[in-house]
Amino acid sequence: MLSRVADNLYWMSRYLERAEHTSRLIAVKLEAMIEQSREDSEASWRRVVACLSSEPHIPSGPVDPFLVSQALAFDRFNPSSLITSLRLARDNGRQVREQISTEMWNRLNRLYLKLAPLNLATVWNEQPAHIFREIVEELHTLEGTAYSTMRHGEAWHFLELGRYIERAQLVSRVLEIHFGPASHSGSALNYLDWVVLLRFCTAFEAYCKVYTANIRRDRIAEFLLFDADFPHSVRFAVERISEALGRVAKGAPAARRAACERLAGRLKASVDFGQIEDLMGGTIDAFLANVRAQCEQIHEAVYTAYIGYDAETVL
Amino acid sequence: MQHSALADALRLVEPTRPGEAGAYRHYSLGAAYDEMFTPDGDVRPCYAELNRSIAQISSEELKRRQQACELSFLHQGITFTVYGDNQSTERIIPTDLLPRIIAGAEWARLEAGLKQRILALNLFLHDIYSDGRVLRDGLVPRALIYGSKHYRREMRGLSVPRGAYVNVCGTDLVRREDGKFVVLEDNLRVPSGVSYMLANRDVVRRAFPTIFRTAGVRAIEHYPQDLLATLKSLAAFQDDVSIVVLSPGVFNSAYFEHAFLARQMGVEVVEGRDLVVNDNVVYARTTSGLKRVDVIYRRIDDDFVDPLAFRAESTLGVPGVFNAYRAGNVVIANAPGTGVADDKAVYAYVPRLIRYYLSEEPILENVETFLCREAKSLSHVLGNLDKLVVKAVGESGGYGMLVGPHATRAEREAFAERLKADPENYIAQPTIQLSTAPCFIDGEIEPRHVDLRPFILHGEETRIAPGALTRVALKRGSLVVNSSQGGGSKDTWVLNQ
Repeated sequence: MLSRVADNLYWMSRYLERAEHTSRLIAVKLEAMIEQSREDSEASWRRVVACLSSEPHIPSGPVDPFLVSQALAFDRFNPSSLITSLRLARDNGRQVREQISTEMWNRLNRLYLKLAPLNLATVWNEQPAHIFREIVEELHTLEGTAYSTMRHGEAWHFLELGRYIERAQLVSRVLEIHFGPASHSGSALNYLDWVVLLRFCTAFEAYCKVYTANIRRDRIAEFLLFDADFPHSVRFAVERISEALGRVAKGAPAARRAACERLAGRLKASVDFGQIEDLMGGTIDAFLANVRAQCEQIHEAVYTAYIGYDAETVL
Repeated sequence: MQHSALADALRLVEPTRPGEAGAYRHYSLGAAYDEMFTPDGDVRPCYAELNRSIAQISSEELKRRQQACELSFLHQGITFTVYGDNQSTERIIPTDLLPRIIAGAEWARLEAGLKQRILALNLFLHDIYSDGRVLRDGLVPRALIYGSKHYRREMRGLSVPRGAYVNVCGTDLVRREDGKFVVLEDNLRVPSGVSYMLANRDVVRRAFPTIFRTAGVRAIEHYPQDLLATLKSLAAFQDDVSIVVLSPGVFNSAYFEHAFLARQMGVEVVEGRDLVVNDNVVYARTTSGLKRVDVIYRRIDDDFVDPLAFRAESTLGVPGVFNAYRAGNVVIANAPGTGVADDKAVYAYVPRLIRYYLSEEPILENVETFLCREAKSLSHVLGNLDKLVVKAVGESGGYGMLVGPHATRAEREAFAERLKADPENYIAQPTIQLSTAPCFIDGEIEPRHVDLRPFILHGEETRIAPGALTRVALKRGSLVVNSSQGGGSKDTWVLNQ
């Protein structure tokens, strides 16, 4: 596969994952607001903003849910807004239009064309969460469309790689905000905040199946970090990263492949054998920061090995 | 209810005629040849099936199908971008629902004429880039060729695979008032529009599924396979040929077409930055390392292909690719330098070239063309500026042009001075009434002027898909079919019969 194509597929997938995550966080937060006190709601909005690393794009002063949602979702100048992510996903998809299936492209294109002219104010007064739920659904459909219409060859594995590197980082970030120093949360988190955290990761129902509805801080951390079978756990994402790396660039020289696989294997070992009891004493934020840093290293290694390599070195 | 059912039944038996109450009440026949109706208002045989369907479909239903077509184009991303004040919007090139229909026998003649023409043009290109026999014999003036800005000296003495310089050609034809198809222009460089031919077919087939079968429409869906076979036939080896489509990238207005053709052929779209040349061999940068490339279907102008051989400032091209081509390690299709033969002045010589190289009479005529470099023609042009269209030879897209009947006296006088100062740079043609075809405009069926661009493939054999891009001047009375100036397009049916 062309290196440029791999680059476009990888980033298309990362941006789609980011768009879905952003949309879901806003939807969950808007739905939860109804049951939260004013202070709790405000603190929880600040956590959402921090999870999405969008602090510089939020108006200062007391939180206005409309303005925050607008900035997180539809601010074209916010590089991590929902609409920016979708636009970049589509731009990348357009450049590899011949690599992805027509069904996939049409769905992505339609979603973007529907959202690009949308004014949040016109849908805000009815059910503000509705549009964000709908976007999450559309993106799930797109994922399913991709799964069943695209050949699961190298292109597919670059999509997987992008999706799960992004997911591992996003989920780690969400956990850092909720388990890190109290400065993030402002006050101690209550029951509803923990339920909201699970919902941010579509994990509430899955968590209850494993641990019953007994909502406990350490179990939530354990589930979102180390559950082997839940698609939004860090461990699950890392497993997929490692698997995808084993299946891209089959023809590349062994030395270049090894550099990537070594890093992925190291990360995989740390989440496969990690114990939540060891982390709850206060080292969890260091552990999470390390997961994010290792994802970054894997990204760099993939670029060096397969995408941005110097042609002179391989002739 | 019963009354309207009876009315419908009557309408079925006796479809309305142009200008009378019914589906064609806004259809008026003018001086131009009409594709659907004879001058007496009778439906031509090839349109009979479509006419029967139109009589059965309500105007609202047609409107609904038209909207479905447009939405489908938008969702597929068959759009071009219009840049506004602070936000860019994407528009589709309007597509008209009603197909333009060509009878089988008429197509057979067109096909024979187009094959003859591409054969002669390839022989001509071979000649001027090798012996120059045609120049020595004085049939074509040397200055016309060597002075052309599309002549590529670098191509001299270079042998191209199968002697085929032009592998993909899009020829523009128009139908005159007398019903005859004549050639308006040969596009021998990087002709585009074939994706619209295929996309129009795709949406129209869905809009009129039943008549499609009954009318006996010939299939065009194999065009990408034919293109692939043509490109493959140019390679030196036939096993495991690696073919790429070289595109300027996603910002090019024809990018959709580049990606579309690559996808349909199952090959990669590459940009200049994806290719590297080492030791006169071209490689693509892949995730697994460098992979050799054998055939490049280029969709960038030849002067941008290689900054080392042509324009040094080009960032779209591949440094060194022309040397790899000279060394025979890669094929570039179309060959660089084909533009010299679709120049407006050389165009006028094509009928003579057909006689010269093939010893045959041209099957397809040209539009009557006056070469201002010939003294007799110049005086005729100067005397009839108010009736003629005068075009600068090296320009395209309507630049340096005088449309006599629409110009003021002052404009004509100023143009006459330019003409006298540099007659070699100009040709003149009479204004032609392009034929009209029924189009669905704001809920009514009205005539609009159309042209015809079939696509000819030339490798080890010459292949023409039985179809074409029909461009439509959507403004009432307009003769300008270019998409940049309010033109649209429609599906083109070639019938078995």
